[in-house]
Amino acid sequence: MKTKFLSFLLLFVLATSAVFSQKSSGKILPFPIQQKQLANGLNVVTVPFNSPGLAALYIVVRAGSREEVEVGKTGFAHFFEHMMFRGTEKYSKEAYDEVLKSIGASANANTSLDRTVYHMTGNAAMLSKMFEVEADRFQNLKYSQHDFKTEAGAVKGEYTKNSASPPLQLNEKMMDTAFKNHTYKHTTMGFFKDVVDMPNQYDYSLTFFDRFYRPEYTTIIVVGDVKQDDVNSYAQKYFGNWKRGNYKPTIQTEPPQTETKYVHIKNAAYPPYLRLGYRGPAFSDKEIDLPAINILSSIFFSETSDLYQTLVVKERRVRNIFAGAQSTRDPNLVSIGASIVKAEDMQYVKDEIAKVLETAKTTPVDAKKLADTKSRIKYSFAMSLDNPDDIAGTVAQAVWLTGNPETVNSFYGLFEQVTAQDIMRVAKKYFVPQSLTVATIGPNDEGGVK
Amino acid sequence: MKKIKYGFLLLTFFMAAALVAQSQQVIELKQPLSNKIIIKLMFRNGSITDSKGKEGLTYTTARTITSGGTSTMTNRQIREFIYPMAAGYSSNVDKEVTTFTFEVHKDFLDKFYPVVKGLILTPSFADEDFKRVKLNQQNYVDQLVRASQDEEYSKLALEDLLFRGTNYQHMILGTSPGVSSITLDDVKQHYKNFFTQSNLTIGIAGNYTPAFLAQLRNDMQQLPAAKPALPAPGAATIPDGVHVEIVSKTDALGSAIFTGAPLAITRSSDDFAALIVANSYLGEHRKSYGRLMDKIRTVRSMNYGDYSYIEWYENGGGNMLPVPGVPRSSNYFSLWIRPVQIAEGLKQQYTELKDINVGHAHFALRLAIREVDNLIKNGMTKDDFEKTRTFLRSYNKLYIQTPEKQLGFMMDSKFYGRNDYIKEMDALIAKLTVDDVNRAIKKYWQVNNMYVTIITDDSEAAPLAAALQANTPSPMSYSNLVKEGLPKDVVDEDAQVANYKLNVKNVRIVDSKDTFK
Repeated sequence: MKTKFLSFLLLFVLATSAVFSQKSSGKILPFPIQQKQLANGLNVVTVPFNSPGLAALYIVVRAGSREEVEVGKTGFAHFFEHMMFRGTEKYSKEAYDEVLKSIGASANANTSLDRTVYHMTGNAAMLSKMFEVEADRFQNLKYSQHDFKTEAGAVKGEYTKNSASPPLQLNEKMMDTAFKNHTYKHTTMGFFKDVVDMPNQYDYSLTFFDRFYRPEYTTIIVVGDVKQDDVNSYAQKYFGNWKRGNYKPTIQTEPPQTETKYVHIKNAAYPPYLRLGYRGPAFSDKEIDLPAINILSSIFFSETSDLYQTLVVKERRVRNIFAGAQSTRDPNLVSIGASIVKAEDMQYVKDEIAKVLETAKTTPVDAKKLADTKSRIKYSFAMSLDNPDDIAGTVAQAVWLTGNPETVNSFYGLFEQVTAQDIMRVAKKYFVPQSLTVATIGPNDEGGVK
Repeated sequence: MKKIKYGFLLLTFFMAAALVAQSQQVIELKQPLSNKIIIKLMFRNGSITDSKGKEGLTYTTARTITSGGTSTMTNRQIREFIYPMAAGYSSNVDKEVTTFTFEVHKDFLDKFYPVVKGLILTPSFADEDFKRVKLNQQNYVDQLVRASQDEEYSKLALEDLLFRGTNYQHMILGTSPGVSSITLDDVKQHYKNFFTQSNLTIGIAGNYTPAFLAQLRNDMQQLPAAKPALPAPGAATIPDGVHVEIVSKTDALGSAIFTGAPLAITRSSDDFAALIVANSYLGEHRKSYGRLMDKIRTVRSMNYGDYSYIEWYENGGGNMLPVPGVPRSSNYFSLWIRPVQIAEGLKQQYTELKDINVGHAHFALRLAIREVDNLIKNGMTKDDFEKTRTFLRSYNKLYIQTPEKQLGFMMDSKFYGRNDYIKEMDALIAKLTVDDVNRAIKKYWQVNNMYVTIITDDSEAAPLAAALQANTPSPMSYSNLVKEGLPKDVVDEDAQVANYKLNVKNVRIVDSKDTFK
């Protein structure tokens, strides 16, 4: 069992993984980001990195569950990611697998709110072959109706395995409650009724491919023992004839929330759990709000905070505390959560968190603590850049959030600028009762938290 | 904090290091271009050294060290001190080793080092830190293990059966009565007895100087010199027939399955290379090209994934590639069948399945074990062997993409009496023939005597138990949507799988609250 001392920062770091040490160039990423856009709009990004013989190829499609705008189609972006492994006329599923075996690559894909990412890490000498098979399926995917219906069962299996986790169950319920119109209302897995109905959506799957698997939605990122000229020539050779599309989804804006909402799961077998979700800002590399919230989260809720020291260390009423904002294209929740020892302390813990948030609104943070937090963010980023996968993942995040990999560098500049006043301002702006959703897991019929 | 200057001490430490070189094992991975330093201190004692009635003690000890302070700093002071550095450390306890890993940017190595030294040599063992660790550990063994992830639960339940009655049986975090009986004095005593010089291996990677390593080596000599009496690792028992334990819980959407049998060899054996090839072909972890994955998920749409293992795989649900720090000398072979549908769910989803009594678990288990059986009988083809070998010769190198992983794998190599496991296995795999692999499959794998654990819903437990006990045919219950397009070879194979005889000798249903007792 691994126990990470840094685990309290997990959510925070995940949310802000595009953060780093400022070099004299003013750029946090200590490697050049080399970009080239093909005539069809496909952006090709190369990041040379010292990993002898090894290259990571990441393909980012800016379509995730956020783009699932039609009723009954939730979870489709993720389902479609599964279908992308079902083969083409040139490379059947078996032939594609054989190519991967011959490359010795670690390859997979994953889907989230704002994107789908396909990744392959392996022998850099085989990069041309990697491009060939990926370009083939991105342009020529072809599957039978039977394969389509069959794959839907694997997605249901994925939902089934996830459902064993009470916090994931709660998250599904919480998003459904916190959002009314925006597609963040459903999780990337989708609503279970839509998952069960997936086998009936073959025709829609063709529409989905036609809409989103297009160069203007896609960015190719290659990190490792590679040269930009080679990467660009493979991209041109294999993706150069890919045709642009013209679809743009209309994603509904979420109206302002007007009162606190509540969700609860009764489960006496799981430790009591409290999660507060405040409506927060969208990701931006120009607005300072998101970096300010993340610095606030670290100062007030990490293991060095007074709250943690009181609730977790001294009183032992709480097992752990987490806090942080999610980096997403549209406004999402800022979460503060706690695993609580006794259900009857749920209200007390919520009140203590509320007190801390009031302090954050009215008292400037200590200047040294602010500087230390910026230093921490900078160094944890710097140390994370020790392999092609992690670098590609960081660049991919910048791409799916803004379309521009250089956002990795511009976002960092914002952290440097955050002041004590900014932290008070964002606390006042976002941590208000009318934008709050309270989610609980506990032994009783109701959560019992006001 | 006192700033330590290493340079002038160089000679002294080299001399000291030379004196201790024979007893101290050091693994180095110098990376002068790296911006960080990783230190791993691996002690040759893990949960098998937990004393009887105090199961979980090694975990409590290691965790109290990393959750605590030193003789000069409290835990909070350490956390505040290292906060701007983003330095980190963790403990990882496994069955036979405990590893402390420290990671720091090169800008702060000198500042950070007293924390490393203090935690290992003079841990504070403060009462509040111990109580906090114990509170969470107790919660894990009492509640979390049963209520948060059925797949990990089924894997741990399988070990509970395989190693019953031995020091390998209990979870790393212990048992419910074991944890509750652990005292702070037990922890202090356990630290003195088992975290000693004689069972320490030092690992270091990254951008460090020889002087720094010399100091580290010298300081670690301050650990107690005592040579602890380490117990012999318990071996897995082989059951007579197939023994199934069904764990019944409320509100489970699926049936999570693990099955396994003792395996006589580990990474120490050159034969392991042959099993690596066979295992990759049968069920490479999280890859779509394994036989199990292909037949259960790709063709039949039964679940999210299906894999096979020839050694412990840490956190299979999260890790795509194997991690170091979990070397073991007692071994078993296992199959992981991710949750399949239960009858209650299928009936609700498809009217054509309204009359079924049992979900997909029985069929999935038959199919998986039959695949192993067929592999034992028929072996791999030369073509499959060559393709799998080619894959592995590149793929194994992906295990060590980061300095931390590379160092960890090097340290594990020593545990198995090897110098560099990745390189040595690659050389062995390069020399293999298909006959070598097929011989190893026959020699080391069998399917007649296995343990099976299934975590499932209380509505599924009894009918599934009855079907397994009676070896009732288990035709695959497809929805009409999938059924209508099935190729003939799949339909034919289904008929054979449905009637494949499992050598079931014993089936037990256990309530979730009664597991791990």
